[in-house]
Parts: sequence; C-alpha cells; structure tokens
Amino acid sequence: MRVTVISPERAVYDGDATAVVVPAYDGKVGILPRHAPFMTLLGSGELVVRQESGAATFTVRGGFLQVRNDTVRIVAESVHQGGS
Amino acid sequence: MAKARELRRRIRSVENTRQITKTMEMVATSKLKRAQDRVAAARPYAAALAELLADLYSRDLAERFPLLRQPAGAARRVALLLITSNRGLCGAFNGNLIREARQRMAELEGAGTEVELHGIGRKGIGFFRYVGRALASQRQDIGDRPTPAHAAEVMGPLMDRFAGGELDAVEVVYAQFKSPLSTPPAVMRILPVTPPAGAARRIGGPADRRGPRAAQPPIRPSAPNYILRPSGDEIVGAILPLYVRNQMFRALVETAAAEQGARRTAMKNATDSAGDMIDALRRTFNRARQAQITQEIAEIVGGAEALKG
Repeated sequence: MRVTVISPERAVYDGDATAVVVPAYDGKVGILPRHAPFMTLLGSGELVVRQESGAATFTVRGGFLQVRNDTVRIVAESVHQGGS
Repeated sequence: MAKARELRRRIRSVENTRQITKTMEMVATSKLKRAQDRVAAARPYAAALAELLADLYSRDLAERFPLLRQPAGAARRVALLLITSNRGLCGAFNGNLIREARQRMAELEGAGTEVELHGIGRKGIGFFRYVGRALASQRQDIGDRPTPAHAAEVMGPLMDRFAGGELDAVEVVYAQFKSPLSTPPAVMRILPVTPPAGAARRIGGPADRRGPRAAQPPIRPSAPNYILRPSGDEIVGAILPLYVRNQMFRALVETAAAEQGARRTAMKNATDSAGDMIDALRRTFNRARQAQITQEIAEIVGGAEALKG
C-alpha cells in the first residue's frame, strides 16, 4: 500500500509500506494493506512506517489520517523526522 | 574637454548602479527559485485539508461550528490583514498591495463596517503610519521564509475573537503567486470558512451534473463510506482551525514568493535601463571626444600655417 505523510510545508514521506502505526487521538492505530476506508484524528506521538526493509519513524502532532483505495494519508500539523 | 570628463564620470556611475541591480536580480532569482519550491511543496497539505472538508462538509454544520458562522446581515466589524514585504526595490509590488487594501477598506467602510487593520511586513506598516491610520497589530519579523508557526501566531487571536463573535469576518490582502511575472494583489476571506469548492469538481459523480449550482457543496454522504472516528462532525471541528491556519500560511508563502518575482522583474528592468543609458552616454562621449580631436588638429594646422607665414 502507498503511504504519504504530509506536513504544512511539504510531503515528508511518499512511498510504499507494509504497515503503519499511527498515533490517533485515542491511542495507536495500526493500518495494514487493504484496510477499509477510514478517517480519524491524530493525537501526538510516534508514527512508524514499516517498509519491506526497515522502517521510518516520525513524530507527529495534530491533523488527520485517511485511508482509501489502499492509500494511507497522514496529514499532520507538525511532523519531525525520527522518534521521540 | 570638461564635457568629456563629465560624461566619463556619469558613465562610470551608471555602470556601478547597473552592477548593483544586476546582482540584486541574481539574488532575487535564486531566492525566487526556493520560494517557488516552497509554494509548490505546501500544496499537498492544502489539497488534503480541502478534500477532507469537502468530503465531510454539509450545510447544516454551519450552525454548529463557530468558524463556519456566516454573519447575520451586514458585517459589523472586520479584521483586514495586509501582507507586504519588509524590503523595497521590488517595483510596484507593495504599492499594489496597499492600494488593494485601501480599496477594500473603503468598500467595507462604505457599507458601514468597522475595519481593524493588521499589518504584516514593514512596507505596509510604514505606509499606514505615514497616513496616520492606526493598526490593530503589526509584525515585521516574518521574512522570506514564513513558517506554519507564524501563521498560527497571527491567526490564533483572530480565530478566538471570531469564534467569540467579536469579529464578523477576517480577510487578508496578499499577493497571489500565479507566476514569477504575474503577482496580482488579492483579497481572501479566511473567516468565516468558505467550504472548499473542490467537492463538486473532485468526484465525477452525480454532484457534477448539478451544473453551476453545484458550486455550493452539495449535501451528500461522506464520499466512499468512511469509517469515521470519533465522528464526522468532530473531525470537521478539529480540522477547521488547521484549514484556517493553512489559508494564512498559504497567503504568507505566496506573498513571499511573489515579492521575489516582483523584485527580479524590477531589477531586470533597472539593469536594462542602465544598459540603455550607458549606450546613450557613451555615444555622446565619443562624439565629444571626436569633436575635441578635430578641434585640436585644426588648431595645430592653423598654428603651422601661421609659422610658415
């Protein structure tokens, strides 16, 4: 599935992934390929994008998550590279 | 001889000026490039927010969210933000923005609306201080690289006051960045939030067939049957402030890019004019020099003739 992480300034990540763990407003949400259309608000915390080899970690705060057509979009008000 | 020397001095002076404007043109070009990239890079976020709001918006939401509240009747009090550059030497750029702002002010005040003016950027602030118009707030520290944090700082208090009913609208005068050569001033209404018009355009569904009336987003179930958590309403409520801040951020980023575009054009014109001026001066100088030589020869010949005498 395709994952994009978007901050107000730019698209921080855009690529394929095997799984994403997203800090939603009420706790962590894991998204695997072929997830049903889904929308939720983000809380703040660590976002992990797992690829076939390795994983990318970001710290995000505020915004929303949208899953549609096997595309995951994480739109956050603030995105930093790396974990917390 | 005096004339030739005078001319040579002027040529040198214009050459120096051309050197400066040429350098400024090159600096503006490189800054423009980066500013342009920032405008483009900020687009996905804006598009994503707009799409989400278009998906979840329905007209009856307007009553529940203060940020969507349309003023009943004529607006009583409007905050007008004017974004200008901090630096000059960019042609009519700031002048155009200020003119646009004054026009909008006259329009609003003509309709009996109280306008409070907020200035961002030294040039606009300087102008209104000069004409003696009080500014409700001013900022000069947002430079070439506006950040989302800047936008949040500017919009925060205004959003609170709008939600509290103190303001009926918030508008911003900024420079649209259509291309480096076309940066027209524009007025954008940030609050109340106008739902993004993308709804009808984005999906080739039945919404499209409603014709021009579809510009007002139709009431429809959230597009592909999303699972919504917590609920559509709450998501809209949480995302609206982000959208508002992003509108402001976009205005700042576009104006910053437009400024560099305008400066590059202005400096290019100045460099070209300096070149023309140098050509004209050099021609006059050559003519003066030639006239002097001719005269000297005539004098020598005359002197030799007299000696032969």
